[in-house]
Formats: sequence, C-alpha cells, structure tokens
Amino acid sequence: MGEKEERVMEGGNGNQRSSFSQPWRSRRQNLASNALHQSKVSNFAQRSTPSNTSTTGYASTSSFNESQDHDAPRSSDSGPIVGTCPYMCPEGERVQREKLRDLTVFERLNGNPGKSSSALAVKKFCRTISSKDVQASDLRPLAVLEDTLNFLLSLLESKEHLFEVVHDFIFDRTRSIRQDLTMQNIATKKAICMYEGMVKFHVVSHYKLWCSVSDPKITSMRHLNMEQLTKTLASLFNLYEANRISNYVHENEAEFCSLYVLLHLGSHSKPMGEPLSFWFSHVSAPILKSKEMCFARRILRSFRLGNYKDFFCTAAAQATYLQYCIMEPYINEVRALALSCINFGSYKLHPYPLFDLSKHLMIKESDLESLCNSCGLETCTDESGNKLLPTKQSTFSHPKGGFQSYSFLGLQEYEGQI
Amino acid sequence: MAYMNMSMGEAHRRITDYLNRFSDAVSSQDGASFKSLFALSSNSPFLLSLADAVALFHDANRLINQSDSYSQFSDILLPLLRSVQNYKQGDFVEAYLAFEKTANAFIQEFRNWESAWALEALYVIVHDIRVLAEKADKELASTGKSPEKLKGAGSFLMKVFGALAGKGSKRVGALYVTCQLFKIYFKLGTVHLCRSVIRSIETARIFDFEEFPKRDKVTYMYYTGRLEVFNENFPSADYKLSYALKHCNPQREANIRLILKHLIPVKLSIGILPNHRLLEKYSLLEYSNIVLALRRGDLRLLRCALQDYEDRFLRSGVYLVLEKLELQVYQRLVKKIYIIQKQKDPSKAHQVKLEVIVKALKWLEIDMDVDEVECIMAILIYKNLMKGYFAHKSKVVVLSKTDPFPKLIGKPVNS
Repeated sequence: MGEKEERVMEGGNGNQRSSFSQPWRSRRQNLASNALHQSKVSNFAQRSTPSNTSTTGYASTSSFNESQDHDAPRSSDSGPIVGTCPYMCPEGERVQREKLRDLTVFERLNGNPGKSSSALAVKKFCRTISSKDVQASDLRPLAVLEDTLNFLLSLLESKEHLFEVVHDFIFDRTRSIRQDLTMQNIATKKAICMYEGMVKFHVVSHYKLWCSVSDPKITSMRHLNMEQLTKTLASLFNLYEANRISNYVHENEAEFCSLYVLLHLGSHSKPMGEPLSFWFSHVSAPILKSKEMCFARRILRSFRLGNYKDFFCTAAAQATYLQYCIMEPYINEVRALALSCINFGSYKLHPYPLFDLSKHLMIKESDLESLCNSCGLETCTDESGNKLLPTKQSTFSHPKGGFQSYSFLGLQEYEGQI
Repeated sequence: MAYMNMSMGEAHRRITDYLNRFSDAVSSQDGASFKSLFALSSNSPFLLSLADAVALFHDANRLINQSDSYSQFSDILLPLLRSVQNYKQGDFVEAYLAFEKTANAFIQEFRNWESAWALEALYVIVHDIRVLAEKADKELASTGKSPEKLKGAGSFLMKVFGALAGKGSKRVGALYVTCQLFKIYFKLGTVHLCRSVIRSIETARIFDFEEFPKRDKVTYMYYTGRLEVFNENFPSADYKLSYALKHCNPQREANIRLILKHLIPVKLSIGILPNHRLLEKYSLLEYSNIVLALRRGDLRLLRCALQDYEDRFLRSGVYLVLEKLELQVYQRLVKKIYIIQKQKDPSKAHQVKLEVIVKALKWLEIDMDVDEVECIMAILIYKNLMKGYFAHKSKVVVLSKTDPFPKLIGKPVNS
C-alpha cells in the first residue's frame, strides 16, 4: 500500500539501455511533487550508470547480462511481480541443493553437507535466469529480503571461518538479493537501506581482501568485489535520485558520494568509466558542501598535489571507517611518494630521522623501517640509537608484490576491525 | 488556431506543393532545396504553415498516394508530415517518434543514392533528431516518465555513421555525425561512449581527417580536446583545443569563448598565462584572479578564486585541473622570497629558511606549520619545480645556484 513501486535497473547498462527501461507507472503522474523530481531522476540515472569498460578488465558483457536479466517480469495486466517466498531460500531450490549436496558450510544443518533448513539456506544468485521463467514463489518479498540481508551481514562477525570464505558466500547471496529486488522493481527507501548495507559489505571486503594481496585467488576476488562495489554504488545513487523530493539529501548519501570520490584515488583509477571531473559537474550543492564530501575532496587534492603531510593529518583527523577502508590501498602509495621525495631532495649529509617522518606519515616507526626496506631503501642508526634514512639512495623502487598493510596512527580503532 | 483561417483548398494546395518540392528535389538531386524540407527546428514559416495545413487537412495519406512521384516515398513523407504538425503543436514526444520513423526510412533511400547529393539533408535530419529528442525527453521527464529518446537518437546516429563509413563521397559526412553524437553523449553523461566513435574516425583507413569540412574538424577537436582535459592529458588537450581555436571562425565569438574556457586551464597547467585583454574580450574573467595568483605566488588568492567560481569550474569540469595549480603558486612564492633575499644579500639568497615561508603564508592568512612547508618543498623539488635540497635539521631549503626555478615552458608538471 505505502510502497512506491518504481522501476530501477540494477546498475544499468550504459551502452544500450536507460537505467529506467520502461515508462513509469501511470499513478506516478498524480503525485505533483514527483513531476518536479523525475527530471532529476532520469538525468542522474543516466549519468551514474557504470561503464562497460571497468578497470577490472573483466568482460564487460558478462557483468551486464546480470542487469539485463533483471527486466521486471510483467504479470498479466500492470504491476510488476510480487514475490511470495517466505523463506531465505525457495523450498524447491533448497531441496534440490540438499540432494545435490550443493550447500555451503553456512547452510549445513549440524555440518551435514546434505541437509539444510529454512533457517540456514539462502537463495543462490542465478546468472541465467530469464524474467519470463520467474515465479512469484521463487521471489522473496521485501520483508524477507531485509531479514535475509541482516542474517548475511551478521555472518561477518563470525570468527569461525576465514574471511575469504565468508566473503564469497555473502558476495553471492547479496547478489541474489539485488536480483530479487530488481525483478520486483522495489526502489523504496527500504531498498536504499539495503543497498547501503551491501555497499558497506563490499567496501569492507575491499579492505580486508587487500590485506592478503599476494594470493592470486584473492586478487581475482578483489577484482570481482570492486566490480560489484561500483555497480551496487551506482544502483544506490539511482535509488537516491528515485526517492528524491526537491533538494532533499538522504541521511547517508553524502558519505556514499564521498566513497565514490575516494575510489578515484590512485593515479589511473576510473572505476566507473566516467572521468571524475564529469561526475563533479552534476553533483548537487548540499552534497558538495557536506562534511564527508569536503573531506574526500581535500584528501583527493592532497593526494594529487603530493602533499603527504596534509593527506595524513586530514585522514587521521576525519576519516570514517568506510572512508578509511576505501583509502587504505592508497595510503602506502602516498607514504612511498614521501620516501621518494625525501630520498631525492633531502640534504645528503643529514640522514632523515625516522621518528619525525613516522609522525608525518602516521605510521609506527618500526613499520616505517619495514616500508623503507620494502622500497629498497636502507636505514641506519646514529650513536644515540635513533633510526635514520640516508638519502640519495639509488635503489628506490616500489615493491613488486604491492605493499603490505601497515599501522595507521590515529586510526587504530579501525585497524582492530580485521 | 492559425489554420482556422486557412481553407481546405489552401491546405490541399500547400501540402501538394510540399510533396512536389520533395519529388522535384529528389529527381533533380537538388540538395539545397531538399534539406529545407526536413528542417523542423528551424521554425521556418514554410514548415509552420505546412503544419497548419496538415492539421486542417487530416488525410495527407490520400494526397501522398495520389501520385507515384511521391507515393514511393510515403514511408518518409507520411511520418514527416505528422512530425511537422506535432512539432508545431508542441507535442514533442509524438514529433520525435514520427521524425524517427522518417529518419529511418530516409536512411534506406539514402543508401541507394550513389552520390552525396543528399548529404546536407542528412545533416539536417541528424541535427533535428537530436534536438527533437532533447525536447521529447524534457517533456517525458516533466510528466514523470522515463526519458530515453535522446539515447534512441544516439542509436540512430550510430546507424547513420555506419551508412557513411564507406569508400564513396558520402564519407565526408561522418565527422558531422560524430560531432552530433558527441553532443548527445555529453548531454547524457555517457562520455565514455565517445571512445568507440573516435577510434573509428582516427584509425579507419577510409577516413582522411584533412578531407572533412573545416567546421566539423573544429567541433571535433573541441570535443575530443575536452575529453583530454577530463583525462588530464595536457599536451594532447593543448594540441586539440588550440587547433579548434586556430581554425574557428573568428566571428563565432561564442564558440571561441567555449574553446578558451577549456583551453585556459590547460595552458595554465603548462605554465602559459593568458593576458588580461583576452579574458576581458571573451568574458572569462573568472580566470583573472587565478592568473594573478600565479603571477604573484598568492596562494590565498588562488583558493579564493576557486571558491568564488566553484560552481562554474565544477560544471565545466576544470576545477580539479585548476586545483593542481597550487604547486606553481608555491613555486612562485618561494621565488619571490628568493628575489627579495637576493636584493638584500646575494651571497645568502639561495638559502631560504622554512620559517620565512611559514611567515609569508601566514601573511596570506594561510596557517601552515613548518613540517607541511617542508613537505611542499620536498614535492616542488621532486617535481622539478625547484632545484636544490632541503635540510630537515636546519629547517632550510637550499636552492641551486643555477636556474633554481625551472619554467614549465609548455610541459605539464611532472607527475
């Protein structure tokens, strides 16, 4: 009754289709306020769709088949289909997977690989499902989807399993949740809440998976995660627009916009295909002036100018957890730049004290020493036992396997979340 | 309603007149006359009164089928007349839908015409389909519907591009279509789609860039130059936008202004400053304080200018480029201090205490501690904006005796 049923395509295909592939329901026209904001909806929707050419290098078509398959199946007259499945997983699927012993560790009843329960089984993402074949009984209604998502996210607290295993499961099952939402054209504020939760999951995964960067299997997980992160973020932006009335800004919208900006740190990032400058040309004033956006813009500026001092001061003073997760992979890039600068331009006869440098780079001195070494730089010690960095060393180079994770003084409370 | 004053006979006459012009133009391959028959958005009195005639007469179909010379083009003509009528009545969605049908039918015929006689008409159709699509989308959005006509127009244009990408004389039209596509993609915000059509123009062997009409080359370089600015490829952006500037018709001041709006930040990034007269002439005074800040080494002025015109700079996509000019402003500030010191005591001028820089910044109401100043010095040296070294213990920067402040002279700051 109260739910506004609107059409939103997950992610959307920048090449061929509008995010809003079909005309809006006629009852929308009765709401005068909507008339004003629909134009913003459409413009924003088209602008924020991710490109086919994501930097992950993954075959662009495969990632968009997902969204194309999500065309809402029409029931006989007008409304999109409404799901009726009361469980996290449709019974038919659960029974079949029990038979095939296709149950993840999280879904097994008492560890039995052939037995699950309605409290444990969660619907899998199905790439090949076509909207024509979908039954209402296979789709979970909004309330069930909300419960499913809460259940999945609670698994993140679990210490029993390796993070990669938990991630893999939640990655797939949240994709299925998005599929159900899209097929039922649920685009309300509750959907916003759910998408925010899912973006958060991907952001945290982005950070946690990065910590074990040397494992090749995890590298590909990171690529896939980044792909879903940007798609889900783009859908979230579409939802913000779809639910916008005049200049209203949603509660968390500024923070998620700031995450989008921070994704562009790093010399050649173009996570969504569109240049950041282009995106900025359409951001609304209230978002631009928000604390979170100001932070992101300042970090971006310091990064681009190479002002490592301001970068670290600002980050330590203001970064939220999610912002930190996005920034983490670039933090050591900045530290390495600082080392390059100091190695290049600091007075030859006075090796640079690591103690001072560690304050500027918000890093533990011992970690800084380790970082120097991994960049091919030697350190030395003076008579009083102070560690120093001799300059004009010719052996500087970025570590081949990327950087490991180091401390971040001032944001230790975030590190503890590993 | 204007057409109330028209008689049925008059309406009949006008429509038949139009149809005859159409068939005459085709049979004599008269491109100039032909193109005027499609120019809806030009609001020509000729088409406006045709619209009235069509509205009054109702049964244009019968008229079209009356003669073989135009019934063979009924697929083009029938929707075209509808479109003309809808356009005048302000039903832009309907006008677009009908015009799209006309355009598609036109392309079929166009392919069969050997020579490029109908190219001008094609340009008009390509231009108007975009304009109509924009109006249609506005109408859709205002009634709560999803605006996808411009996207559709883009697809149509890709089809047209395909029809022109051949060995014949029609291929010179491809650049015009490309530019219309750029306008669509920029409007839709899908600039990444420009890449594939750029690739076609620049790498396909059938195209020789020099063969294209000058006007189209200028527009093309303007848009591709802007893309280079978005991607911060400054040498490339400089080349393309400068080309556009050089070849742009000097009387098209609005166009020159647009080109300059994007070229100036690029030039600033490579150390080339415009003079004030240029900024005045083309109403680009938002850049005047930025230029002044660069000349003076006044960081506060730069930051203020960025703030004052933030909206404008963000909207044209140059804000991030301008922000980066800070490094050059710092360079200038240190140079000024150096010059002042040189006047006082040449032998010691090349040693600049970091505290002095802190004080200079404080005088500009910028609060920066000595550690951050050291960081800035380190970056300036690293990026070759300054030659010398800095001493952490003595908190001083020691400049090289020769050429301590290398000029950029047309190259961007090292990244």
